[in-house]
Amino acid sequence: MIAAWNPAQPEITDLIIRHDVQTLKRLPVRKAEVLKVFSGYGNSKACRAIAGLPDKEGVLDERAIDQLLVSTHWEMQRLAEEFYHGHRIWDLLRRLLVAIRKSGFRETLRVVDVGCGIGYTSRWLAARVPLAEYGIEVLGIDLNSALIREANRLAALEKLDCRFFHGDAFSPEHSGNIFLSTGVIHHFRGSALGDFLHRHDQPETLAFLHYDFQPWMLAPVGSWFFHYLRMRTAVAKHDGVLSAARAHQASTLVEASRSALPEFASGIYGARIWKTRAPRVFHTLLGLRRPLLPEFRQQLGVRIGRLGELR
Amino acid sequence: MTLLSLYVLALLDGLLCGARVAMGRSAVIRKRVYYVRAQVKGLAGAQIVSTIALGALLLVSAQSAHRAALRADLEAAAGRMLWIFLPYAALVLGNILLRLLPSTDIRSATSVMMLGPLTAIRPLIMIAGVLYGISKSTLWETRVLGLFILALMLSLELVLNFLAARQQARELNALL
Repeated sequence: MIAAWNPAQPEITDLIIRHDVQTLKRLPVRKAEVLKVFSGYGNSKACRAIAGLPDKEGVLDERAIDQLLVSTHWEMQRLAEEFYHGHRIWDLLRRLLVAIRKSGFRETLRVVDVGCGIGYTSRWLAARVPLAEYGIEVLGIDLNSALIREANRLAALEKLDCRFFHGDAFSPEHSGNIFLSTGVIHHFRGSALGDFLHRHDQPETLAFLHYDFQPWMLAPVGSWFFHYLRMRTAVAKHDGVLSAARAHQASTLVEASRSALPEFASGIYGARIWKTRAPRVFHTLLGLRRPLLPEFRQQLGVRIGRLGELR
Repeated sequence: MTLLSLYVLALLDGLLCGARVAMGRSAVIRKRVYYVRAQVKGLAGAQIVSTIALGALLLVSAQSAHRAALRADLEAAAGRMLWIFLPYAALVLGNILLRLLPSTDIRSATSVMMLGPLTAIRPLIMIAGVLYGISKSTLWETRVLGLFILALMLSLELVLNFLAARQQARELNALL
């Protein structure tokens, strides 16, 4: 196996920035420690990318790392745009919203974008969807303060009705009715996946939609080619491909979800293109409260074919 | 007519280069104005390249002792280049047109399966087109001019990319 595609290792961006989970304070990151992790996997590509990052006396330069992360997220947004990700999310979310409204829910629905980065999904929704008409508010939450600052700057620049917060998406102050994420869920490995899903189990949670790469034989090769052409920084190229290699199998996601959230019906949405066997690049781990199920199926209409077993 | 076709293709290439180097460098949602500006820059770049190429062509022609033969040789070379460039341009434009279809899957597929690979082979297409064009040329002036124009065409995206990267670095410095 190519060392840079070994799914057992973390992504570079997982390690070059660190926060105290309790206080959210930024912690210094020693370059040598990050290099040691990837040397252990024989991943020379990652080591070269990390070696090129600026440091001050062995500690990664925070400002340079923030600039790298922001520019990387700009590039990632370009990929989301090419995949029409906003349209895909809205196509599913609006059906879910109608199902929830028909179930009698009258209050404002809070949609929380977990690990939102620079908030593409939230900002897309705020720019393209009449949020007030649907009675929804959109919040983006991320542990990275630089990305949240950028998300808020971009939202203010375009006068978008969405807000971004540095913190924990499942904390009482930010928690919402619908959780969604993009490219986040593969970061949770082993028991952490179940723990992450279990945190959705709050009285106000009605549904969740987690979009991520769909693993299949050619995904790392396709992802390599795509990222090689599209991304500009070595870190983005490396992590983009590794993300595809690390993506969870649908069965892993569904089993973890059903086990962690027995009150919710869970399943995969949009795994195949039309009625062919060709896989979509992204699939969705979908979960919703069981009473919403019949109406949601109704709302899917012709899209029902995209829904896997939801139970 | 042949030279005019090559000129139009060069402008189209500049327009697309401008858009390409701008992609992934701005994270606003409403990007129409941003991309129009980027495409205008690309178009301006292609115009500069075309003007330099025309200047070189006129200069060589003025110095040549066999102008009529040179003109015929250049026209023939340009005609051969079109055999490579026109199908490529048609493929690119066809895929851009496909993106008008209201299907996210088809639109995404044009990016992943077609526009990405077509972008990747752009330099090869340019080299192949020019080499095929000048391969049967009888005059050394045509060959030199062909290679000079090829170098100009290949450098266009590099220059646009360099300028966009510099602007992005300035923006990031101002932000953080």
